[in-house]
Amino acid sequence: MSVAITSRSFFGQALRRPTPFLDFLLPSFTIPSSRTRYAPITTSSASPNTEPSPSSLKSFSSNKRRKPLSKTQREFLDRGLRVNQAGELAATLIYTHQTPPITRAHPHLRSLMHRMYSQEAGHFSTFNEMLAKHRIRPTAMYPVWSAAASVLGWGTGLMGREAAMACTEAVETEIGGHYNGQVRVLLGWVKEMEDKGEEVGEEVRELVSTLKRIRDEELEHLDEAVGEGAREAKPYELLNRVIRSGCKGAIWISERV
Amino acid sequence: MMTTRPLHAVLRYPTHLRSSLVWQCSRSYHSYEHEAPSPFNPTEDAILSAALAHVPTHGFTTTALTHGARDAGYLDISTNLFPTGAFSIVNFHLVTQRLALAKHASSLQPHADITTNVRSLALHRLHANKPMAHRWQEALALLSTARHIPTSLRELALLSDELLFLAGSTTVTSAWYTNRAALAAIYAGAELFMTQDKSEGFAETEEFLTRRLEEGEKVRGGLDMVGKWVGMQAGGLVDGLRSKGVWI
Repeated sequence: MSVAITSRSFFGQALRRPTPFLDFLLPSFTIPSSRTRYAPITTSSASPNTEPSPSSLKSFSSNKRRKPLSKTQREFLDRGLRVNQAGELAATLIYTHQTPPITRAHPHLRSLMHRMYSQEAGHFSTFNEMLAKHRIRPTAMYPVWSAAASVLGWGTGLMGREAAMACTEAVETEIGGHYNGQVRVLLGWVKEMEDKGEEVGEEVRELVSTLKRIRDEELEHLDEAVGEGAREAKPYELLNRVIRSGCKGAIWISERV
Repeated sequence: MMTTRPLHAVLRYPTHLRSSLVWQCSRSYHSYEHEAPSPFNPTEDAILSAALAHVPTHGFTTTALTHGARDAGYLDISTNLFPTGAFSIVNFHLVTQRLALAKHASSLQPHADITTNVRSLALHRLHANKPMAHRWQEALALLSTARHIPTSLRELALLSDELLFLAGSTTVTSAWYTNRAALAAIYAGAELFMTQDKSEGFAETEEFLTRRLEEGEKVRGGLDMVGKWVGMQAGGLVDGLRSKGVWI
């Protein structure tokens, strides 16, 4: 009996504050620090000052030579935009299913939920158009993500305001980091093209500014969720880890199928 | 470059890489700022298009390929450029006719619905097989040999994608997959039907294609209705329970 209790509290502690020694026991709940190479997203609603914003992102026409995107670059865009669409699909569904239980219990959140939902819906249609225009295959897991996101939204909605906000925080942290990675890669391309004296195409230019705008909006949601008490959710640590690892897994799969 | 990927070449890859080879059948990011390079180099293009002119008489055979090489001013030995032999003529015909569809797309009715556009494009593509319709069974035989099946399926998937894209389809849900699979099946059926069609100007093939597309449309409409109905009922049930005070 006492053994059971001690082991439970032991694992409980481990879950809250994992030691390196226990990492192998909880592979999917822990986020190894070695993998986060960049400063993690905590909370920020504006583009960081350190982010380069090359002048060629603003110029519109020139006679410089143009080079088609390489195969790796096209594959990167293919994967990236597919994941973005899947992510926005999930986000719209999460907010759709969170809204009824949350607004009934806390009517003052109605406008916040509505604003977040309509922004996500806007992002979703942006990426839908991009996929159709650039002939990118949507993810084959579309129905699975739809079901998973609906269940997640509805479940956290029922658990209360704090849990719903914790869910928003976890999702937006992952998605913000994902968008940030894409913006970083695209800015790398822009810099490379500038160094070689090539013209940055309209497509890339537009894509960078769209991604930046969407990323900033996602991080706004993150701020608002934290402001509404996301950190007070009861099993906060557990919720955060489960949802974040779920997001990571979904991104990994959507990149591939 | 030839894009043939025979089965033994696929099997050479480790298991975990094979699936990514299959996924390659869909194109990657399509840019509007640059034209895609031609899939065949000038020599291949010259020999294969000359060989295609010999197909009605010699069929899809290495003889046609040799005649093509001679016509284009190359030695007989230059057919060694094409390790897949007669199949390379079939592949050339499929690829060039698929790419040629884009030109026809500009003549489509501007506000026609997608099914009408798909029908017009698919008919245009079938008519491109007319000169060699009596030899098409040989092409189908070559396409269905184990070695060439990956290429054939890839080409069929690309054709189906091309038809839907040019027809103006912007669906990016799971229906993306079902639409493409259904259209590929319909087109392959029509092509098979055409090999048996003895009517004037392949009128029966045209009717066959129209009927299959209509059926597809009916099935899709029906499934949509069922889906909507189920969604409405589920939504109504949840709302009803909520109004009774059940905490869901």
